[in-house]
Amino acid sequence: MALARPHITVDDLRVGWGTRVLMEHVTFDVKRGSVFAILGGSGSGKSTLLRHLIGLERPQAGRIDIEGVGEPQYHEGAPPFGVLFQSGALFSSMTLAENLALPLTMWTPLRGPIVRELVQAKLDLVGLGPFSEHLPGELSGGMKKRAGIARALMLEADLLFFDEPSAGLDPISAVELDQLILTLSRDLGITVVIVTHELPSIFLVADDCIVLDKAAKGIVARGDPRKLRDESKIQFVHNFFTRSSPGASTDQGG
Amino acid sequence: MDVNIRVDREPDHATIVLSGPFDLAHSSKVMHAVQSAEAHLQGCHSADISLAQVNRIDGTGAVLLARLLDRLAANGCRTDIAGGENPEAARVLALYRQRRTDHPSLPSRTMNPLVQLGATAAQIPAKINDAFDFAGRCAVALPKAAAAPMSVDWRSLPRLMQEIGADGLPVASAANLLVGIIVGFLGVSQLGRFGAVAFVPELVVVAHFRELAPLITAMVVAGRSGSGLASEIATMKVSEEIDALRSMGFDPVRWLVVPRCLALVLTLPLLTWIGNAMGVAGGLAATMVITNMTARAYIHATLDHITVANLLVGLVKTPFLALAIGLIACGQGLLTQGGAAAVGSRTTNAVVQSILGVIVISALFTFFFVLLGI
Repeated sequence: MALARPHITVDDLRVGWGTRVLMEHVTFDVKRGSVFAILGGSGSGKSTLLRHLIGLERPQAGRIDIEGVGEPQYHEGAPPFGVLFQSGALFSSMTLAENLALPLTMWTPLRGPIVRELVQAKLDLVGLGPFSEHLPGELSGGMKKRAGIARALMLEADLLFFDEPSAGLDPISAVELDQLILTLSRDLGITVVIVTHELPSIFLVADDCIVLDKAAKGIVARGDPRKLRDESKIQFVHNFFTRSSPGASTDQGG
Repeated sequence: MDVNIRVDREPDHATIVLSGPFDLAHSSKVMHAVQSAEAHLQGCHSADISLAQVNRIDGTGAVLLARLLDRLAANGCRTDIAGGENPEAARVLALYRQRRTDHPSLPSRTMNPLVQLGATAAQIPAKINDAFDFAGRCAVALPKAAAAPMSVDWRSLPRLMQEIGADGLPVASAANLLVGIIVGFLGVSQLGRFGAVAFVPELVVVAHFRELAPLITAMVVAGRSGSGLASEIATMKVSEEIDALRSMGFDPVRWLVVPRCLALVLTLPLLTWIGNAMGVAGGLAATMVITNMTARAYIHATLDHITVANLLVGLVKTPFLALAIGLIACGQGLLTQGGAAAVGSRTTNAVVQSILGVIVISALFTFFFVLLGI
């Protein structure tokens, strides 16, 4: 595993609009099959970084390379990875089964019973087996997110991006979602990149993480989140992981 | 290497060797291989399965294989997977087998046309009830709004009048001008056959002031502002803003519907009035282009027929048309339930119903004035 090529390589990325730089010198890599967390406070650019990783935005400078995909950018065609948006982003006029069948009928020649079988298997996988004929409006927030994951898995992507998966979920639904993420990573070998600031979730699922800071305009720490919590000397990282008062954080200027 | 499922069959026992890529890209081949293997496995009591030569497996391949194993198990065939040779494939396969849930399949949502017709018909009383309920709440809201002026969002009134009136003026004026031209042309071509071109100004004034200007203007406003108001309120409903108003103790009807209806009632007569002038201009243009009547003569004849009766018969109905547009658009918006699709269908309903309502109310007024002999 240690010698394998990283699944995602980000090299000296600069992100911003016009003359405003949100973050720069962002360099990290994501190991294949790992659960990688992008952490940071509100406004630190976590979600913006995610939008760059999935190719919705272009960086000002630097390079993103996803193995087997190259530089992520929007193109019409089967997407090379799956994305779970914050709300699940299911199409409200379609049933769950129709939502899940959409990528298959769009980008593969499969039709009919085999599509139904694959859709049902993915719904079973995320624990929504009995809800195939429900509309998204009839589901709870946690169920919508699990359905979103199932839809992201339909094309058997080996790379998934999750934007704040446990935001707005009750603790039990959040833990169920974390378990599902672990299953995807350990049993199916999928690389998962999560943007989050839910500490319990981070410690449970993440193998590796980067911590972004608004003031530092970039990455302030990198490594196993449990180790960072216990060993980091950086005041901001320590505060982040131990939920200390932000008043104690050092201003790193910028 | 291609997808292959080799079955070595003995009377009671079979050895199944899977080889090749079992993934989404090869799913059709996997499906065929599964089907032919299943045919060879009829009446088998036990099977050893080797995954050693599976060089790639993903969820799709695993599901197709898992269902084969499930069906074999259901037919009394015991299966043993030699997972040690390819632990990754065995793990994926096991996951999809173990996450299988048996559940009664729900009835599909597609209805046969007859059932759909019945269901639609059965909803009519409830819809009529809703309409009366909403009209009643609006009727109650008005005196309450007068008693408690703070419960109405007055600050939105200038913005709404700007959007409905000023922003809609070019479209409404253009529509009235063109209809004036049409009436002028019709008048010249029909009355001209009897040498009665001199009566064209009267025709334009009577037709446009009494009927066409209120109708055309109201239809333009129904299409423009009816859809705007309905989709605005529908989106607020979907994004829980209406619930937020309720939770803060506001009455959404008073807070939202009263200013919108008021803005319509105030602006539609003005738009109609300007529409009247545009209609006369259209008639004038048409007549001058195809006859030798002078502008002076046309205007003179027009002024003779702009009577209080002609003007008021037209303008008096505009507040009612405005109210109908506002109530239908806001009512449809407030009835929205669901997501993006519901916003679209409610907006469509609002426009269709308010245009229809405008025509029906106009017709009722005409009938009424004819009976009165005005």
